[in-house]
Amino acid sequence: MIDNTSSFRVKKAFGVTMMLVLLFFAALPTVWVLIMSFREQAAIFEPIWESPLAVTLDNYRGIARSDFPKALLNSFICAGSSTLLAMIVGVPAGFALAKSRLSGKFYASWLLLLLRMAPPVGFVIPLFLLYVNAGLIDTYFGLIVAYMTLTLPLIVWSMWNSFAQVPDELIEAAIMDGATLGKAFMQVALPAARPGAVAAAILGFLIVWNDFFYALIITRSSTVTAPVAVMNFISYDSVDWGSIAVASIALTLPILPLMVIANRYIVQSLSGAVKG
Amino acid sequence: MARIELKNVEKAFGKVEVIKPLNLDIEDGEFVVFVGPSGCGKSTLLRLIAGLEDTTAGTIEIDGKDSTSMPPGKRGLAMVFQSYALYPHMTVRKNIAFPMRMAKIPRAEQKRRIESAAEVLNLTDYLDRRPGQLSGGQRQRVAIGRAIVREPSAFLFDEPLSNLDAALRVGMRMEITELHKRLETTMIYVTHDQVEAMTMADKIVVLHDGVIEQTGSPLELYNRPVNLFVAEFIGSPKMNIINGEQASGIDAYKIGIRPEHISISTQSGLWKATVGVAEHLGSDTFFHAKVEGMSDPITVRTDGNMQVDRGSTIYLSPDEQKVHRFDSQGIRI
Repeated sequence: MIDNTSSFRVKKAFGVTMMLVLLFFAALPTVWVLIMSFREQAAIFEPIWESPLAVTLDNYRGIARSDFPKALLNSFICAGSSTLLAMIVGVPAGFALAKSRLSGKFYASWLLLLLRMAPPVGFVIPLFLLYVNAGLIDTYFGLIVAYMTLTLPLIVWSMWNSFAQVPDELIEAAIMDGATLGKAFMQVALPAARPGAVAAAILGFLIVWNDFFYALIITRSSTVTAPVAVMNFISYDSVDWGSIAVASIALTLPILPLMVIANRYIVQSLSGAVKG
Repeated sequence: MARIELKNVEKAFGKVEVIKPLNLDIEDGEFVVFVGPSGCGKSTLLRLIAGLEDTTAGTIEIDGKDSTSMPPGKRGLAMVFQSYALYPHMTVRKNIAFPMRMAKIPRAEQKRRIESAAEVLNLTDYLDRRPGQLSGGQRQRVAIGRAIVREPSAFLFDEPLSNLDAALRVGMRMEITELHKRLETTMIYVTHDQVEAMTMADKIVVLHDGVIEQTGSPLELYNRPVNLFVAEFIGSPKMNIINGEQASGIDAYKIGIRPEHISISTQSGLWKATVGVAEHLGSDTFFHAKVEGMSDPITVRTDGNMQVDRGSTIYLSPDEQKVHRFDSQGIRI
C-alpha cells in the first residue's frame, strides 16, 4: 500500500532535503579538490569565473615525477601486509575466543578493548624508543609490526563477534562428520563468517591506509607512506596546493571500490547472514 | 551396526551433576528413544555418546571397543541436530558429500551414494539448491541424507522434529521409522515429546534429573510404570493420580488410573462426579470431572459422540485391573 497522505509527503520531502544538504557538504570538499587539481598554480586562489581557462595537467605530471608514487606503493605494502598478517593470526584467535569454553575469555575481551581504545600515542612513544635501539626505524618490518597494534585488536574483536553468530551446532556437525577442528574451521566456520571476515579485513586495511601518525614517527625516507608524503608538498616558502590536491585524489581512488565492498559486507555481517 | 554400552557414565558441569552414574545397553539395530522433561540430561547423554562432551567418569563402549576418549568423527556415528546444522554456503549436494569428503571416499562412490540418498529422501530436484532455499521438512531430509551416506554404525537424533509444524512432524516421524526398518541400523533418538517416543521406539529410556527412571518397550512403560514419574510422563492425556481415601482403601499411598480406563455412566458407578470442561477431538472426548471427595479433577476418555452437559452428574467406574498403586516414595507396589 502506498501512503499518500500529506503528512507522509511532507516527511518524505523533509528527509530528501536533509539528505541533499548532507550530500552537498560531503561532496563540496571533494569537488573542490578535484577542481584544484586541474588549476594552474598561480590561479588556485582566484575565483573560478575570473580565470576559467587556467586549466592544466601540470599538477598530475609533477606528481608522477615525484616520490609520491613510491609512497603510495609503501602505503599499499604496509596496509596490505599488516592486514594480511593480522588476519592470519586474528581470525583463528577470534574463532578460539568465540567457541572455546575457556574461563579467561572475559579478561581477553577486556584486554582487546583496552588495545582498541588506547590512544596511538601510548604505543608510538615506547615503540619509537624500542625501534631506535633495534634499528627498526624506517623499515617495512618495523612499520608493519607497528600497524598490527592497530589491525590485530580490530580483527580479533570483530571476528570474535562474527564467529559467535555461527551456531555451535554447525561446527559440531562438521566434527561429527569426521572433520578435524582445523577443517571444521576452514571449511565450515570461516565460510559462514565470511561477510564478517571481509568487512574486518577492509576496515583493517583502511585504518592503516589512512594513518598519518605512526608513519610520521617511524618512517624517515625510504618507507614513507602516502599520507606523510603529502606533507612534503608543504615547504618553508610555499604550499604546493595543486600537488596536494592530486595526492589526495590518488589516496582516495584506490580505496573507493573497497568502500563499496565493505559497505555491502558490513551490512550483511550486521544482519546475521550466516543463518541458513 | 553397533551395540552401545554405557558403564557408570557420569557427567558434571562444574559442580552441577547433569548425569548421575548410569548404565545402559543399546542393542544392535534397536531404536532407542531418550525421553524426559527439559533439563533431564537426555541431550547431554546423547552428546556423551556422540563424543561432543567428555564423560566425567565411566566408559562408553561401541561394538565392544572402549570409545570413551575417541574423537567424535572416529566413532562411526552420524548425528542429526535440532537446527539441522546444514552448511549454509554449500549446496545440498555438497552438504551431503561433506562427511564422505572428510572420509576420502572416491568421487564415483560419493556420487552413487548421494544419488541413492536423494532418491530415498525425495531430494533429487533440490540437489543444487542452498539450504536457505529449502523448507523446514526438506532441510530435515538433507540432514538425514548427510547422516545416511556415511553408512554409520548408529544414528543419533537430537530432537530432530521439534522445529517442524505438527502436520510435517507426523510425516517425518513415519519417514524416520520407515528408514529404521529399512536400514536396520541402531538409532538413538532424543525427544521431550512422549508421543514421538511411544510411536517410534523399540525401547524407551525415561530420564529425569540425570537419572534413568525406567527402560522398556513403549507398552511396558504404559502398562507397568515403575514409579509415579513414569506413570505421569507416559500417556496422553496423563494418568489421573488420586490420593487419600480411595488410595488407602486399596493399601496404597497414591493410585493412578488412565483416562481411557475409566468407564462413564449416567445411571450408576463407583464415583459420583460433576462434569466440567469437555474436550471434543472427534474420535474421542475428554471430560474433566470433579469427583466428590477428591481434590483434583479426573480426566476421562469416552467415545467422541457422547454428549454430556457441563454441570450434570455422571458416575465413573475405574477398571480395577488397570489401577496402578504407588507407595509413599512414589514406587510401584
